[in-house]
Amino acid sequence: MKKKFWSRDRMTHLLFTVPAFLAYAGFFIWPVIMGMYYSLTDWNGTKPTYEFIGIRNYVSLTKNPRFFHSLTLSLKYALMLVVVVVGVALILALSLNALKRFKTFAKSIFFFPAMISSVAIALIWDQLFYRMVPEIGKALHIGILSQSVLADPKTALFGVLFVHAWQAVAMPAVIFLAGLQSVPEELYESAMMDGATSFKRFCYITLPYLIPTITVNTVLTLKSGITTFDYVYALTGGGPMRSTEFIGLLIYNEGFQDVRFALANAEAVVLFVIIAVFSFLQMKVSNRASV
Amino acid sequence: MKIKEALVWRILMYLVLFCGVVLVTAPMVVVVINSMKTTQEAGQNFFALPSSFYLGNFKELFEKNNYWVYVRNSALITLISVALVVIFVPALSYSIARNYERRFYKSVYVILLLGLFVPFQIIMLPLVKQMTRLNLLNHTGLILIYLAFSLSKGAFLFVSYIRALPSEIEEAARIDGCSTFQTYVQVVIYLIKPMIATIVIMDALWFWNDFMMPLMMLNKTSSYWTLPLFQYNFKAEYSFNYTMAFTAYLVSMIPIIVVYAFLQKYIIRGLTAGAVKS
Repeated sequence: MKKKFWSRDRMTHLLFTVPAFLAYAGFFIWPVIMGMYYSLTDWNGTKPTYEFIGIRNYVSLTKNPRFFHSLTLSLKYALMLVVVVVGVALILALSLNALKRFKTFAKSIFFFPAMISSVAIALIWDQLFYRMVPEIGKALHIGILSQSVLADPKTALFGVLFVHAWQAVAMPAVIFLAGLQSVPEELYESAMMDGATSFKRFCYITLPYLIPTITVNTVLTLKSGITTFDYVYALTGGGPMRSTEFIGLLIYNEGFQDVRFALANAEAVVLFVIIAVFSFLQMKVSNRASV
Repeated sequence: MKIKEALVWRILMYLVLFCGVVLVTAPMVVVVINSMKTTQEAGQNFFALPSSFYLGNFKELFEKNNYWVYVRNSALITLISVALVVIFVPALSYSIARNYERRFYKSVYVILLLGLFVPFQIIMLPLVKQMTRLNLLNHTGLILIYLAFSLSKGAFLFVSYIRALPSEIEEAARIDGCSTFQTYVQVVIYLIKPMIATIVIMDALWFWNDFMMPLMMLNKTSSYWTLPLFQYNFKAEYSFNYTMAFTAYLVSMIPIIVVYAFLQKYIIRGLTAGAVKS
């Protein structure tokens, strides 16, 4: 049976595909292309004219300490975030899983932070760091907590990390909890009969079943860590003394505030390449793991 | 011996959960109790329960601000964007899944998937310039952007899901005389309902809570603000009157708290399903 070229079936599928794809092309692909193009110009974002200057922005980036500071800071931050979030989420999921009663209720409480906007969370914690935590610090005689952690360049990063983790733990914890249901109950029973300790049961039974889940959570958290914006924007604005100026914030500030539009685009392209390489490696690794 | 060890673990776990519950609920409790105090009262003791049921902050908040305008903006943007996602994403994915061998559809799919690797930072600067030029720094522009941005993830979730469905049911419908469009509307949609629920929850939460896009598109005109923008701009305005700020945060969170209270089971399940797949 040969179909006519303009059959109704074909027209329907085209109608399903083309309008949506045009929106994607116009509001997603086109800006990406324009961003790459702007990165090769000297446009400051407001002037009516600009010139094509080739890779000069990229050359100047290699000698730009502010950019390298932001980049390494973001990577460091993302790694710390992964360790904290994945670690805490795993402990939380194991504890929740061991609950016999109120499991659903407890899960709902722990998932609540994922519901609120990150700005609201950042602003609330900003107030708490400023007004509540110092009082607790005084009561317990902990010197570092006597002022807001966000005001000191040495500790501000950890303040942001804490707030981010406070919200970001919820999702991986629930994913871990779902992963834990895939562990066959019989394995635990036979291990108990053989006299394996709880710790051994965790290492030899639970952990191997959780490896795919750990990968998912690590990748999700790493990406959100590298591109963090909301939390720093609302908590510190990059300060004090650039101690929390992550790459996502730097691009925003340089592009919109400091009128170095073309340079900011070049920075964004570098970030894009890093994320793309990272995603590619991740796909390779997870493909090999599943074979 | 073994019983003792199990007991120690059990106590440790309860301790973890207890500390966790305190850490999660404490900020909320502080927000609620201080929203019912004046600044003077909160200054005396931050942790004490309010001495009276003081509602002055709430009254002032509702009188001086366009709270309901922000709620309406957030709700409209979220509703329309989600509706567009539900109309376009499953249909697009259905066409890709059922024409997977054709070069055109395969390329569309690959291009959509590549979007998953693009960090937002590279789009935001040129996008704002583009929207300014098109005169779209408003709700319509934001909704269009949300639709465009949700396609990659949507196609990723739906295409493999639809491809895994048995095609016999659709063939039966076709033999009964259904056109492609009728098959999709009357048969396929029912088969992919769980996935639609997942994407509705995921995207609704994203649109409702999003801060970055509204910040860049709507911040200049205060009548366009969404709730997250209202919260952010409130910080600057009320930096000293912080019990007032707590009131504002609380009031802005109430809609989502109400929704969560009723639908938590479905929300958690839907979000988990979406995340595990990626």
